[in-house]
Amino acid sequence: MVAITDDTATPRTEAPAATRWATAIRRNPTIAAGAVLLAILVSLAILAPWLTADPLKQATINRLRPPSERFWFGTDQFGRDIFARTLHGARVSLIVGLTVAAISSVIGLALGIVCGYFRRIDGIVMRVMDGIMAIPSILLAIALITLTRPGLAVVIIAIVIPEVPRVVRVVRSVVLSIRAQPYIDSAIAGGTRGFKLLARHVLPNTLAPLIVQATYICAAGMLIEAALSFLGAGVPPEIPSWGNIIAQGRSFFQIAPWTILIPGAFLALTVLAVNLMGDGLRDRLDPRLARRM
Amino acid sequence: MTNILEVRDLATHFFTLDGVVRAVDGVSFDLARGETLGIVGESGCGKSVTALSILRLIPPETSRIVGGSVRFDGRDLAALSETEMRTIRGHRIAMIFQEPMTSLNPVLTIGTQIAENVVRHTGVPWRAALDRAREMLDLVKIADARRRIDEYPHQLSGGMRQRAMIAIALSCNPQVLIADEPTTALDVTIQAQILDLMLELKEKLDTAIIMITHDLGVIAETTQRVVVMYAGRKVEEAPVEALFAQPTHPYTRGLMRAVPRLDTDAEIAGRRPRLQEIPGIVPALNRPITGCAFAPRCGFATERCRAEAPPLITTSAGHAAACWETARVLEAA
Repeated sequence: MVAITDDTATPRTEAPAATRWATAIRRNPTIAAGAVLLAILVSLAILAPWLTADPLKQATINRLRPPSERFWFGTDQFGRDIFARTLHGARVSLIVGLTVAAISSVIGLALGIVCGYFRRIDGIVMRVMDGIMAIPSILLAIALITLTRPGLAVVIIAIVIPEVPRVVRVVRSVVLSIRAQPYIDSAIAGGTRGFKLLARHVLPNTLAPLIVQATYICAAGMLIEAALSFLGAGVPPEIPSWGNIIAQGRSFFQIAPWTILIPGAFLALTVLAVNLMGDGLRDRLDPRLARRM
Repeated sequence: MTNILEVRDLATHFFTLDGVVRAVDGVSFDLARGETLGIVGESGCGKSVTALSILRLIPPETSRIVGGSVRFDGRDLAALSETEMRTIRGHRIAMIFQEPMTSLNPVLTIGTQIAENVVRHTGVPWRAALDRAREMLDLVKIADARRRIDEYPHQLSGGMRQRAMIAIALSCNPQVLIADEPTTALDVTIQAQILDLMLELKEKLDTAIIMITHDLGVIAETTQRVVVMYAGRKVEEAPVEALFAQPTHPYTRGLMRAVPRLDTDAEIAGRRPRLQEIPGIVPALNRPITGCAFAPRCGFATERCRAEAPPLITTSAGHAAACWETARVLEAA
């Protein structure tokens, strides 16, 4: 018998770190653009207390000042610094977006795996999810917030609840397709069952689509928070959030457009950054596209 | 030689909306220690279901083993609890599947997948299991095992993935390896390499192999004894030389005539004979079959064949065929 040797043993050279980064950016320009934009916004949000004045300090003498050297983004009708308020608002938006994405992913992942794997529970859970999805999410959030005292935590919970079914649907459908994969049969034929099968073989394979879904939910969460705050049902008005700033600047739109244009632009940029990352990750993690690391 | 596996009158039925499908309908065979047994037949004849029934892996929602017994190493597998069964699967009886491209978990490295099987069944520490994984990759002749062990399935070629599957299957020294069409998805040169490898490892590790295939070439090359299945039943069993020298069941003959040959006299005469197919189609298994299942497609069939199922008739040592007309069939050869 001929000795069999496998052939594809190509030598692998380790590229220097800088080159690898350059290659990564060239291969995934969307992820890189989103990540850079997001990194800038996150650092601005984190550094807001050191970069800006007190966002709540009123000075009626300075009210409705257009952008200038002293007030980069102008002031609102109480003379509060829009630059300070916008940067502090970024904290609220990012906290809400990331927390909503994290919580709804965890809950949705758990429910989705249960539904996809234990078919008996599936019908019941999915009908509840359909029920939640049938209610417009902003309406549901407003209802939940009016029932309780306003606050950041309540806003987050109110946004998470309508987002969970979206995650459950994605995870469940992925689990259903994974269940039919030969490697699951193969694992069972090797003696794996129960929790181990879910943890080692099913769960890791759901993560790629889940991460993509999480980025979209992060963006949606920030938009819903802004909408709720704009409607006066979101974070309390004493906390500067983009929705609040826009809501308060609305009546002065025609004479002081910067009060709403600037926080609006920041909101749009943040959502764009997160969505760019989401799109990039989707292309990157899609199993149909070649996976080369 | 003692038998490691004894299958007696195994019957597995699927309960569908179209009625009961008798996928396996009273199949018996023995597997000696270290032997290679071939199970051959066309698609849907119950080969794979037989294999899955041995490991009790048929889908419980739709199917059930309704009769017969499987004795492994003297123990009745039907009597074991699911937990005990799990210690058999992958450890004492391992199985490899047809699809090397998708039978490995895409998110775990090759080394992890081998080591997990080792840890699960032998309880050795993870480091020792990884050493074992490296040893197995060397054994299945994957070059540069040290590097491959940290690679993911998509980084391997189809042939290498099947080698990795074999490495997982053999990592706990199973007594029986069930190979369900192990080379069907591979191209012929790789097929030959994988089959050679399996036979070599069988000798080395003294594993008995059940080779399930529809490819008579694979059967001829690798097995010692062959079971021919048709419509969920065993129609012929013989040592491999006897089967090819003197196929006794008309179905086996039909199968052999359907294989293209390169060495016929017709070639010399300048004309190659047309390949012969077996006329007719496989009977629907959701209706009870009276008589011989092959009778409607068989040139030798008589009234008796259609009315009464033939028993296995032994024609020579170890060679038996389920056919009433063996005498006439052999004469016609």
